[in-house]
Amino acid sequence: MTEAMPAPPKLSDPERRTAFLLSLPAAMILLIMFILPLGLLLGVSFTGPEGFSLAAYQRLLTTPHYLSVIWNSLKLALVTTALTFLIGYPASFAIARARGGWRSLMLGCLFLPLAASVIVKAFAWTILLRSDGIINSTLMLLGIIDEPVRMIFTQTALIVGSANVFLPFMILPIFAVVAQLDPRLGEAAAMLGANPAVAFLKVTLPVTMPGIIAGVALVFSLSVSAYVVPTLLIGERYPTLAATIAKAYLLTQQPAFGAAAGVVLLSIAIAVVILSSRFGRSSGGLS
Amino acid sequence: MTAPDAGLHLSISNVSKRFGATTVLEDIHLGMAKGELVTLLGPSGCGKTTLLRVVAGLTHPDTGRVELAGRDITRAPPYKRNVGVVFQSYALFPHLDVAGNVGFGLKLRGLPKADIASAVHRALSLVHLERYADRPIRALSGGQQQRVALARAIAVEPSVILFDEALSALDRKLREAMQSELRHLLTQIGATAIFVTHDQEEALTMSDRVAVMYKGRIDQLADPRTLYDQPATAFALSFVGQSLSLKGKVVSSDADGSVVETSAGPLRVPRRFLRGSSVIVATRPEHVTLTAGDNTLTGTVVGATFQGSRSLVEIDAAGTRLTAEMPGRCTLPERGETVIFSWPLSETLSFSGEEHA
Ligand SMILES: Nc1ncnc2c1ncn2[C@@H]1O[C@H](COP(=O)(O)OP(=O)(O)O)[C@@H](O)[C@H]1O
Ligand SMILES: [Mg+2]
Repeated sequence: MTEAMPAPPKLSDPERRTAFLLSLPAAMILLIMFILPLGLLLGVSFTGPEGFSLAAYQRLLTTPHYLSVIWNSLKLALVTTALTFLIGYPASFAIARARGGWRSLMLGCLFLPLAASVIVKAFAWTILLRSDGIINSTLMLLGIIDEPVRMIFTQTALIVGSANVFLPFMILPIFAVVAQLDPRLGEAAAMLGANPAVAFLKVTLPVTMPGIIAGVALVFSLSVSAYVVPTLLIGERYPTLAATIAKAYLLTQQPAFGAAAGVVLLSIAIAVVILSSRFGRSSGGLS
Repeated sequence: MTAPDAGLHLSISNVSKRFGATTVLEDIHLGMAKGELVTLLGPSGCGKTTLLRVVAGLTHPDTGRVELAGRDITRAPPYKRNVGVVFQSYALFPHLDVAGNVGFGLKLRGLPKADIASAVHRALSLVHLERYADRPIRALSGGQQQRVALARAIAVEPSVILFDEALSALDRKLREAMQSELRHLLTQIGATAIFVTHDQEEALTMSDRVAVMYKGRIDQLADPRTLYDQPATAFALSFVGQSLSLKGKVVSSDADGSVVETSAGPLRVPRRFLRGSSVIVATRPEHVTLTAGDNTLTGTVVGATFQGSRSLVEIDAAGTRLTAEMPGRCTLPERGETVIFSWPLSETLSFSGEEHA
C-alpha cells in the first residue's frame, strides 16, 4: 500500500511557508472544534471536589447499574451493526448490479432520508409502532389481532429503528467497493474450479473486505453513541451511555461523571475503529 | 453418450444463442484436435466472446452441444469443466500475491503444499516470472500481469485454454513479442487453445487455423494460407490482408467462367455466375503489375510511396480507389500519370454480391 504511493513532491522553502500558511485555517478549525473540546472533556472527567480525582470513573466502572448501561450501548451497537451488515451487504450488490434508472432509484431511496433529521425518522417510527399507530390499527382492521400489540418501547422497536437509521452508513462504503468489483473475478475463480460458495469466500468476500470494515466501523461508532433513537423508541427501559451523559449534564449536574461517560464512549468507538483497520490490514484487503 | 469424432478434442456443434431479439451465435460448428491453436477472428460485436463463454460454461447456449475430451459438457457448470480462461482484463485476484493467484486453482484441488509450490514455480518460470512470486499484483506492469494470468490458467493443466483478446491491452511492441512467445509456450506444453481477436495479424501469427466470424456465424474456418489465398466470402477477403475489389454485373457466362462489367471495365472471373447477378471481383495487391494481362484496367495514379522492400501505388480506376503493391526497387509512376495495370485470371477472386460485406 505505502510503496505504491507516489512520494510527495519536494517543496522549496517559500513553497513550504505558503503551504503552512494555507493549512493554518484548517488546522485552527481542527484545534478549536475537536482537540480543544476533547482536552476539556478529559480534564473535566478527572476533576473532583478537591481537584484531580478518579471518582467519576470508579462510579461508572464499578456500579452494576452503570456497567449494564455500558453493556446496553455495546449490545445496541453490536446488534445494529450485525443487522445492517446482513441487510446492507447483499443490498450493495443488488444496487451495484442494477442498471441505470433502477440503480438511481435505489440509491435515492437509501440516501434521501439522510436529508431528514434523525429525530424526524425516530418520530416516524413511533407513529408507526404506537398502540394506536398505523401497524396496530391495520392489523386490528384486518382482524389479525384483537388488541394492540405492544411495539413501541420494546427492544425490537429499538433495533428496527436503529437499523433503519444507520443502514445507509453500512451500504455506502460497501457499495463503493462493490461497484468497482470486476465481475470477471468471480468467473476467473469458477474457471479455476471454485463453486459459487468457495468463489464467494475466497474472492468476493476478501476483495470487498475494506468496504465491510469501513461500514462496520462507521455503523458501530454511530450506534454505540446513539441518543435520539433509543430515547424516542425505548426510553427509560433501556438506559444507554449517551442518555447517561445527557442526564448527568442536564438533570443531575454532574459534569465530571458525564465527561467520564463520554470518555468511555469515545474510547469504545476509537478502539473499534483501530481494531477494524488492523483487521483490514491483516486480511490483506485493498485500500 | 455418443463417441466423439475420432481425434476431436473439443467439439462445438450446432450452437446458437440469442439475447432477446438479437441472434448472437447462429449454428456454430467447430472441431479442434488436441494441441491445436484456433483463433476466432472478427469485428467487435460478432459474437466471439459469447462463443468463448459458451465453451467456458459462463453462458448457456440455446441449442447445440459442446464436448471436451470425450465428455458432453454442454450443461456442466464452469467449475467442473477444467477449462482455462485468460480474460481481457486479466481478472487477477487483487488480495493475493503472484504465487497466491497462480496457486489458487491448485489449492482448491487440495494438493499438498509442496506440490503446489513446485507447480507454481514451474508455471511462473514458463512465463519468466519466478522471481516475482511474492509480489502483490498491483506492483506489476500490464505485461507482467498478463503473464501471471497466463501462468494461473496453465498451472491447473486445463483441457483447453481460452484467450479473450488477452493481448489487446498491451502496447504494440510488447504484444508482438508476446504473440510469438505465447505460441511457442503453448506448443511446448501441448496446450489446446482458442484465441479471440479482432487483429488479423495476431490471428495469422498465433494459430493453426482461423475461424472468421461475422454476425454470429463462422464465415470460414481454414489455415492462414488458405484463408488468404482462397477467402470464402467477401467479408473474409476484406477482413484478412489487403485487397482490391470492384463491384459489377455478370454480362456473359461460359464453361470457363464469367465476364463481369464493372465501372472500370470488363473483368474475367474463373467462376460461373448467373447472367445479370451482381458480383464482387477482387485480387490481392501483390498480384497487380503495371502491364497488360488477363484482367487489364486503366487508371490514374493518385499516389506512390516507397516502403523499402515494397512500394505502394494508389490508382483511381473510374472512381474506385485500388492499391497495387510493387517490388521496392521498381520505377514508380508519377502522380497524375495514366497507367494500365492488370492481374492474372488465376489470382482473380469473385464473390456473389448478394452476400454483403
Ligand atoms: N449478456 C448479454 N446480454 C445482451 N446482449 C449481449 C450480452 N452479451 C453480448 N451481447 C451482445 O451480443 C453481441 C456479441 O457480443 P460479443 O460476443 O461480446 O462480441 P465480440 O466479443 O465479438 O465483440 C453484441 O451485440 C452484444 O451487444
Ligand atoms: Mg469480445
